[in-house]
Order: sequence, then C-alpha cells, then structure tokens
Amino acid sequence: MKGIRLKTKRIETDVLCIGGGIAGLMAAIRAAECGSRVLVVEKANTLYSGSGGLGNDHFMCYIPEVHGPDVELMIDEFQRGQQGGLRNRSFIRTWLENSFEIVKLWDNWGIPMKYKGQYEFAGHALPGHILMNLHYAGANQKKALTQQALKRKVTILNRVMCFNLFYDEGGVCGAIGINTREDEIFIIRSKSVVLGTGSVMRLYPASTPAWMFNTRLSPVCVGDGRTMAFRAGAELASIEIPLIRCGPKYFARAGKATWAGVLRDPSGKPVGPFVTKPDNKYGDPVVDIYQDIFIDFKKSGKGPVYMDCHGLSDEEFKYMLHWMKNEGNVSLLNYLKEERIDISRDPIEFWTYEYELFPRGGIYYNERAETSISGLYAAGDEFFGGISGAAVFGWIAGENGAAYARSHDFIESSVETQSKENESLFLQLRNRMEGPDWRETNIALQQIMWDYAGLVRSETLLEAGQRALFRLRKKAEKSMIARNSHELMRCLEVLNMIEIGELIFRTARERRETRGKHIRVDYPFTNPLSEKLLVVKKTEKGPALEWRQARK
Amino acid sequence: MEASKEVGEMPPVIVSKKCECCGQCVEACQCDVFFGSKKAEVPQITYPEECWHCNACVEACPMKGAIKLRIPLPMMILFKRFAKKQIPDYTD
Repeated sequence: MKGIRLKTKRIETDVLCIGGGIAGLMAAIRAAECGSRVLVVEKANTLYSGSGGLGNDHFMCYIPEVHGPDVELMIDEFQRGQQGGLRNRSFIRTWLENSFEIVKLWDNWGIPMKYKGQYEFAGHALPGHILMNLHYAGANQKKALTQQALKRKVTILNRVMCFNLFYDEGGVCGAIGINTREDEIFIIRSKSVVLGTGSVMRLYPASTPAWMFNTRLSPVCVGDGRTMAFRAGAELASIEIPLIRCGPKYFARAGKATWAGVLRDPSGKPVGPFVTKPDNKYGDPVVDIYQDIFIDFKKSGKGPVYMDCHGLSDEEFKYMLHWMKNEGNVSLLNYLKEERIDISRDPIEFWTYEYELFPRGGIYYNERAETSISGLYAAGDEFFGGISGAAVFGWIAGENGAAYARSHDFIESSVETQSKENESLFLQLRNRMEGPDWRETNIALQQIMWDYAGLVRSETLLEAGQRALFRLRKKAEKSMIARNSHELMRCLEVLNMIEIGELIFRTARERRETRGKHIRVDYPFTNPLSEKLLVVKKTEKGPALEWRQARK
Repeated sequence: MEASKEVGEMPPVIVSKKCECCGQCVEACQCDVFFGSKKAEVPQITYPEECWHCNACVEACPMKGAIKLRIPLPMMILFKRFAKKQIPDYTD
C-alpha cells in the first residue's frame, strides 16, 4: 500500500450539469437564466472539451422562412433518414420547433450561423430532398458558450470527473467526482442533475487498434453519463445496435458530410448512384447511407474507395475548406499541407471507423429531457441528435432541471454511505502497488467487444463474450492500478465502459434478429415485429429488459 | 512515463526555446496529455499516446511555432497522385 489519502471537498448547488460540452453548457445557461445556482462539472476544460471542442459545421434546424410553414414535412424527412424511427414524432417536433430559437441565440452570442448574410443549408441530404442541416461556423462555439455560462454566474469546475450519482427512492441528489489532477474527491449535493457527457468511444477498437485515442469523436467521451444513469436506476435504450461512420482512412475524424467530392473506385468510377461530380450542396450521400461500401468493395476485390474532390473550382474548394476548419478539422488540414497532399487533386482513401453507440443507444430521455428517474435529465450524445439535439435538449434540460430544483428540497439520502463506497474503490485503485493499468484493461475490453459482439454475433458467441467480460471486470476491480489521479480517471472510465459492454452483451442476446450492424448470424433477417426499442434498467435481480414501441 | 520536453518525441511537440511557459496548452488539452506539468515551466508531455490530435494546444498557444502536432505514422493519410497531364477529366 502506498498510503495515499484523498482530500474531500463538499459543494451544494441547485442544478448540477455533468459534462461541459454543448448540451451541458446550454443546460447550465438556461438553468441559470431561470434563477438556479448552477454548477458545471467538466472532466477537461469547457473551452475546448467534448466532441465539439474545436468546432462543428452542421446544425439540424427548421427555419420556417427557409423550409415553409409546415414542420410536418421535415419530420417526415427526418424519420426517413438514418436517425429516423428512434424517436416518436412529438419528440422530433419539439426538437425542430425549438431549433430556430437556438440558432438565433447562438448567432447573438457570436457563433456565426449565417454565411454571407444568409442561412446556408448543405450536407447530410439526398439530392432533391429537404436540406435540414444549417452550415454554421462553430469553431469558437465552446468559447462562446463558456462565456455565456460565466456571464450568468454559472460555476465551472474543470478537471473533475463525476463517477456516480447520489440517489434514493426520491430521485437523484448529487454526484461524487474526483479531481483528475490531484488526490481529491468532490461530494456534490444538488436538487437536480443534467447529464451531458457525450458518446461512447474507446469501447470498440479504433481503425488503428494500436492507437486507441484515434477516434472519430472525442476519445474521452466514453459513456460516463450512461453508466452513472444506469447505476442510479435510469433506463438505457437501444445500446445493442452499433453504428459505424466513415472518413479519411486511419485519421479518424468526424465531418464526412463536409467533403464535397465523389466516392470513386480505383478506376475513377463513382461507387454510388447519387453524384458524378463534386458537389458542395450534397456531397456524396453514400458517406451517410451506405457505410458498408468500403468493406464490401474490399471484399469483392474492387477497393479501395477514394474521396475525390477533383473538379471543384477554386472558389468551391475554398468554400469546402472554410467549413472543414469550422468543423474543427484544422489538424487534418495542417497535416495534409505538411505532407503536400492536395485534396483538390489527390483522391484520398476513405474507410470506416470504430463501432459506436451514438446516435442510437443511450440514456432514454423524453422531449422534456427527463430520464426515467426523478430529478435526472440528459441531453446531447447521451442518446440522440448531434449538435443541434445537444443544444435544443440541453436548453430544455436546463429549464426543466431548474423548475425541478425550485419545487424540490435537497433529499436527505444516504450520501455519506454512497460516498464511502466510492471512496473505497478510488483508494484501492490508487494504493495498489502492482497490477494491470487502465490501458491494459481497455485493450482487453476492446478485444472482447470486437471478437464477441463485433462484426458477427450469435447466441453462443455472445454468451461466451459476456462470460469473458464478467471475468475481466472482476479482475479489473481486484487488481487495476492507478499511478496518479489522471490514471485514476482512466481506470474509472474503463470500469464504466466494461459496464456498458456487459449491458451490450445482455441486450444483444435478447435481440434475436439482425438489425443494422447488430448482425446475428443465428437470426439473419430483420424482423419487422422487432422494430422496437429494447430498454434496459437496473433492478435488485440484475438488469431488466423491456421492449417498447419507438415510432408513434 | 518519461517526460518528453524536446522536439522529436511523439505528439504534441514543444519547442522549448520558443515556449513562454504560460500553460495555456496544459489547460486546453481535453485528454490531459500534459498531466503533471508544473506552473511556469515548459510543459511536459506525460501521456503522448493519449493525444487526439485535435489542435487545441496549438490553437491556445500564444507563441507561433512553440507547439505543434506530429501526426503518428499509423494515422497516415493514404492517397493517389496523378501526374499533371494524367489527372482524369470526369466532366461529362
């Protein structure tokens, strides 16, 4: 034993926002406007944190003056698209109807939502269909949102990772966290909590397996919110169906829809039916709707597939680069420049990245951003909606979280007992002298996820994988070491991911059909009767599963 | 765990001579690759393999050229290059 102790800091607030990304900051801003004392707890620094840390360029929204007076047409289009069917119309309507207000707010706050004085819609759309994504210049979005939060007297606590919620029958009442830079814990009591911790990366191997942090979205968004919510008793939905996304091969980065080029085979022939020339308005929709093309072409001897922007005029090329910079892809552009790769002329290989849950699987929150337990709200990549979803439902979560805090007192719950249990885990991890570190454990986790719940799944494979993961968790709990508070954070992240992994095995066994990338070779067809959400929540007897209608 | 303070190590790379030790990069990094850096000293890159190559450190640095990313070889972009006269004409 190393004799390490943890200092304790206690804080009280009305609304606690866990995660200072777009969702968390929007919730904080709104809750503060509604008169609450608000604390944002952020694992990194809100100025640059999260998957939108360096910017974004697409904001799904409905603007009546652009799209016409009937929002229902856009809901139809949405439900036909890749995220369609996950939420009922009323949820999508709430999102879209509130989106324009947020656009105007952001524009006022210094995030340029217009291009040359106009609302510019492009990307993530099929030719001839409704353009739902507003091109916006989001490079400074995290700074602007942080500034707005501070202006409203929101307290921001950077470099603190929340690990568990405090809760009892009455609902949630705060959270315990660790300082990621020194040996210190935070015991935070609050009246309501908003989760906005992002997606789940690092659960499955990256496209460069030896380079674990090379992920499409932020590699430190690993599902902390999902596990906190689950352990407190909230429902998670659809976590058994993974998704894949594509982009420049080996340099994992979101932003595929900003590439204006055509996907072509090695002979130059377009691989998809949509476009034959580069197009800044639509790009090549294949990147959104047929991600398997890369592996399919490889398997059939026709690969690789190239993103070819050759043919854009100088002005069109500059336009594309403008949005790429705002999407936060400056490091990629700098790299291309240094390597003298000229994407206006040189076709580059595209490929798919790691399996991920967003935007299909996560905390099941409703159109009021309420989870299934009292006082707990969630938004953003905790489930659904991308940037605009994070902004709109973050805002709604803040408003409702503040209202909840006004009408409820602090719960006198077992905060002390729950703190002690957590503290004991932290101390064990910090004081062990030898054992596997988080990295070793994370690699073991990724292997099991990929080999037993990856490309193909079956009852026997899933059962074996579930057993393997259970053993890994036991070993990790008993033997993992954290050399410092940074590694303690990583250890806790891995424990969270293992928990999500176990739930994926549990739910994937229950979904006895093939759907999307949930490929059950023992149930090879997609059963229309199973077009439902599979919801999982904790009970005393272990995780309980329930099928629920998604589309109404 | 060895701290790398000089050029030539893995990403990001700090040029000690140009660094003003303001610590902006240390604050910006969401992966905290600079963990353990001391105030008013050239930051140390304790966990280079946890870099996301997001460019926040470069953007936050007030001194041009004091910090840069080196993209690791496994992340190299793969591309085709045509000789100028061989660039295909796809216009139809």
